[in-house]
Amino acid sequence: MTIAVLDGGTYYHRETIHGDRYRGWFDRVIYAPDLTVADLDGIDTLIVPDRLSPTLLRRHRDLLNAFPAAAGRTLVVMGENDVPSWLDGAAWSPRPTNFWWWLDQGAVPPHQFPAPDHPLFRHIRPADAIWHFHGVLQPLPGATVLVAVPADAEGRDGGGALLYEDRVTRPGRLIVATLDPFYHHGSRFMPATTRFLDGFLPWLKGG
Amino acid sequence: MILVLTTGFEEGAAARLVQLPGMAGRVTGLDQYDLEGAGLDHARALVVGMHCDQRRLSERAGMIAEFLARGGRVVASGHHAYPFLPGVGDFQPMPQPTLADLTVHRLSDHPVWAGVEGKDLTFRRGVAGFYGRGWHEPPGDAQVINGIGPDRRPLDFVYRVGAGAVLFHGGNDLTGYGAACDTSGRILPQLLDWISAP
Repeated sequence: MTIAVLDGGTYYHRETIHGDRYRGWFDRVIYAPDLTVADLDGIDTLIVPDRLSPTLLRRHRDLLNAFPAAAGRTLVVMGENDVPSWLDGAAWSPRPTNFWWWLDQGAVPPHQFPAPDHPLFRHIRPADAIWHFHGVLQPLPGATVLVAVPADAEGRDGGGALLYEDRVTRPGRLIVATLDPFYHHGSRFMPATTRFLDGFLPWLKGG
Repeated sequence: MILVLTTGFEEGAAARLVQLPGMAGRVTGLDQYDLEGAGLDHARALVVGMHCDQRRLSERAGMIAEFLARGGRVVASGHHAYPFLPGVGDFQPMPQPTLADLTVHRLSDHPVWAGVEGKDLTFRRGVAGFYGRGWHEPPGDAQVINGIGPDRRPLDFVYRVGAGAVLFHGGNDLTGYGAACDTSGRILPQLLDWISAP
């Protein structure tokens, strides 16, 4: 797989994308404001890292939605990217963020892993995908949910996905997450996010 | 007028700041990619948050320096990764920090942090590290207000550029403390007062 990643120019995109740890996984780094269709020639997998400006994503929406419309191509969209405003078919409900859950006595994170035999889990442990989250996705029927949470206790949503793989709604593949590891790894703030990328990027590379 | 760069999220921290009571007419949001076209001629201050595209800002470093030279104020949060601010060094991380490394210490008085206790900066909901996880080398004439870790490395500092000034915070957005229930909740109103002071 030939992987390209969009670079939003933030300090954390610089650290995660250009830093020594992961730079070798990206065959092409594209500065997001300058993205053109020619930049995607020969690219199989395009990563939209978490917390890219939705202003840019909306500006590039036709190009981004066209990418997984070709068989053999994968569009990866990480979290906090306001996907309903530009990604066709994406549905998301926000939730208040509990970033201190692990300090609560006897805390058990609500995360569920409905497809434990999925190849991703040969590269990461389920625990590597567990950190606070900001909302849930509602994938289209036929998608494979890899990380899920049950219904919100206060009735905001009926539960949903934090990470899913969609091979059915278009010729290419879509991987969508609420997870935001580029931000947290690049901020040097949460070790689970580093472990996640340590496995997630090799999985993308190997297909 | 205080110009706050927004990053495309209607519900983002920058956008929420603009929507706070009393901010109408005082604070204006501007998408970061519209800065070049809009210019800074009518702004008193520019607020740059942690989620801004510093690469693009660094391409506008001359515009920011001119704004400062003629009396503008810049308030910036985050890790300085591209050179958009005059005189600020690159972010210096603390590898595998301990709680002592993440502890915030007051080194000098400043009206933005008046009455704010160090423990309320070190911890948020019991979690350390939000406020800062490293440090930056400031310009030689900077006033360092808060330091981090046992060596009290520069975390918050203010310095003059011409007739203007930069207030730099090397961690998560200062403007994100608007709803805090402890003494860190004093930062945002005091910051807006400092920006507006003659």
